[in-house]
Amino acid sequence: MPLILNDLTPLHWAVAGGVIAAVTLCLLFVANRRLGISSALEDICSLVLDQSYFRRDAVFTGRAWRLPFLLGLVLGGYVSAVLGGGWHPIWALGMFDTTIGFGPGGKLAWMFVGGAFIGFGTRLANGCTSGHGIFGMSNFELSSFVATLTFMTGGILTTQLVYRVIFF
Amino acid sequence: MVMPALYVFLGTLFGFVLSRSGAADYNYIQGMFLFEQFQLFGIIGTAVVVAAPGLWLIQRRGRTLRGTAVSVERKPLNRGTIVGSLLFGIGWSIAGMCPGPILVNIGEGKVYAVAALAGALVGAGTFGTLYPRLQVLFGLPSIGMPSTARTPVPASESSRVPDRVYDTAK
Repeated sequence: MPLILNDLTPLHWAVAGGVIAAVTLCLLFVANRRLGISSALEDICSLVLDQSYFRRDAVFTGRAWRLPFLLGLVLGGYVSAVLGGGWHPIWALGMFDTTIGFGPGGKLAWMFVGGAFIGFGTRLANGCTSGHGIFGMSNFELSSFVATLTFMTGGILTTQLVYRVIFF
Repeated sequence: MVMPALYVFLGTLFGFVLSRSGAADYNYIQGMFLFEQFQLFGIIGTAVVVAAPGLWLIQRRGRTLRGTAVSVERKPLNRGTIVGSLLFGIGWSIAGMCPGPILVNIGEGKVYAVAALAGALVGAGTFGTLYPRLQVLFGLPSIGMPSTARTPVPASESSRVPDRVYDTAK
């Protein structure tokens, strides 16, 4: 199945997984950094919010590596587009368009709501796919196995509800 | 300047792979949750299978490349882990992206990803603001007093305030 991005053919999953593992190991081995992207959401918040939660040491020390890493993530997507047929604004959302079919306004609202669940949920769970799913499980942490199983369950139930019950 | 540049480089590599592998693709995420696409299971599974022995070796060595200490703080398991993960999973399905892919998609030019980021920041900001109440509700670690230092200072300085205080006596 081609990607939404310029109909590109995706990389093989083993290649992608290998590179992700390599980056994870490199971060720890070179800099003693634990991969975890959802923490960067509170790093960004800490730039404008000053409640005590955002003034924790973990935020100050973590910002130093996570904000440059975040910039890299954006750059990585940009480079991917440029090298893969060119960068242009994209509104296409694959099967969302064919099955749910909201216009631009509805799509933005949908994404905002999804994002709110992600932002609140990952911080309450203290991690996401990278922090719990990849690092935590690779480190045999019980909380990460529980977290990963649970967020997969949440995703499965929601997608089934949306695409098999509500909209079809 | 070396370290920030390294982080930008690693992030770019990571982001490129997320972009090109389908991890940031709405269809592939729904495909995973519908059990119609193996791709995302393969990516996460491979990453864990490769990273696990590597993490074990690095921690056994106990030192980074340059010889400084390796210290990995394990994440606690509490009620927040479970409720938060459920909420995150719901959001992952709705948006078709998780935190990393939100940023990758912004780079790719997907306009709606900006809305996802806005929502995520509102969600995270709300969480942090409500933390004192949520901490009790979900059995989360306590914060301790906030740090007054704005730049990292040596750990020996007593004005340095401890991070989340995990109650190891439990």
